[in-house]
Amino acid sequence: MLITFLRRLGWFVLLVLVQALILNNISFFGYATPVLYVYLILAFDANMSRYSLLLWGFALGLAVDIFSNTPGVNAAATTLLAFMRPSLLRLFTPRDSAEDFSPGILSMGTSPFIRYLTFCLLFHQTALVLLLTFSLVQPHVIVLRIVSSVLLTGLCILGIEQIRK
Amino acid sequence: MRNLLNFVLKYGYWFLFLLLEIASFLLLFRFNHYQGSVGFTSSNRVMGRIYAVSAEVSSFFQLNTANTQLTQRNLELQVENQLLRKVLSQRSNNDAFDRIVASSTDKDYTIIPATIINNSLNRPDNYITLDKGTADGVMPEMGVVNGNGIVGIIYLTSEHYSLAISLLNSKSCISCKFKNNDYFGYLKWKGLDSRFAYLEDVPRHALFQKGDTIVTSGYSAVFPKGLMVGRVDSIADSKDGLSYLLRIQLATDFACLDDALIISGKNRQEQHTLEQSANQSTKK
Repeated sequence: MLITFLRRLGWFVLLVLVQALILNNISFFGYATPVLYVYLILAFDANMSRYSLLLWGFALGLAVDIFSNTPGVNAAATTLLAFMRPSLLRLFTPRDSAEDFSPGILSMGTSPFIRYLTFCLLFHQTALVLLLTFSLVQPHVIVLRIVSSVLLTGLCILGIEQIRK
Repeated sequence: MRNLLNFVLKYGYWFLFLLLEIASFLLLFRFNHYQGSVGFTSSNRVMGRIYAVSAEVSSFFQLNTANTQLTQRNLELQVENQLLRKVLSQRSNNDAFDRIVASSTDKDYTIIPATIINNSLNRPDNYITLDKGTADGVMPEMGVVNGNGIVGIIYLTSEHYSLAISLLNSKSCISCKFKNNDYFGYLKWKGLDSRFAYLEDVPRHALFQKGDTIVTSGYSAVFPKGLMVGRVDSIADSKDGLSYLLRIQLATDFACLDDALIISGKNRQEQHTLEQSANQSTKK
């Protein structure tokens, strides 16, 4: 129990630092920024309680917020993702999979995992970009930001999955 | 009663979700309106430390470019200094004039050197974290400049760190004028490209051309008069057609900021209180 918690905490610190010190400085063509820290929420065990998911999500978003001077923005988006995750996971899990598993290419299969990943990232990025810009004045810029960041983040996460395999 | 309890147990996560979202939004809106939220930004103690270490590492790799830039700027200033000396010596035949010039130039502003430890370009509202705080005499609404041009304005300060609103922020609005005449306008950033900002409210009858230099006007007491801002890149009309809208190529390269100077006017407080009382009396 304690070991699981410490392992999660280790991932938490690592992902927040990588996000704050490296990834936040990346901006491809002025639009795409990889948002890798959501990987923590996506990879939590499937039968984790909704309460702890929400609390982890909020804490993770808040930590990233404090680093990037956007109080509340990442926290709100990540809490939303943590709230949606159980339903999205159920939607894309193959019927015959085990009761408890950690979502990934190995446990879910490549194409269900990619579908799960895409939908989760879309929800998260849409909330994030809308809260950051807080206006609908330039809809094409907003859509471009969302799509390009989802693609870039998705590629990063698939890369990590390949390495962990 | 038991049904109610079951209901709460089954759907309790909805309440937790709403609670956390409300907390997030409170943070989001509070930050824009109150000055007391330093704890939730990168200028608090822990984050400041981490960023200071990371900035030290990355600035080591930027030393080369910074050096060449400084040398170049040094050269330009040297040439300008020579020229000014010559003009001054031609014009002043008595010591009194020299003394007045010497006393009026460097005494009105104090300068605090600082290092930029965190910076962003890609958001709609960008902020800069600096490694000097109230302990070093930094206060909100002081100006931040570097060797090439102006950078931003201090927004929040903690004991050892401070957070500045970058020029690349929708809230930033700086009074600027042309170097060779006194027509002025307001400099604003409209997102996306970190190399360009826009000068608004330049009157129709103002005289200027492409490539003219834009400097600070000194009207706001945040920046002294005459600091380099950028050059006119293209000329367009404002939306209502009553003034010009100029695209300015910024002199500061925000993608590689490292060292900066925090400037504070000695009489800033006095001017600020005077303007506020004037505002209040006209409102009544």
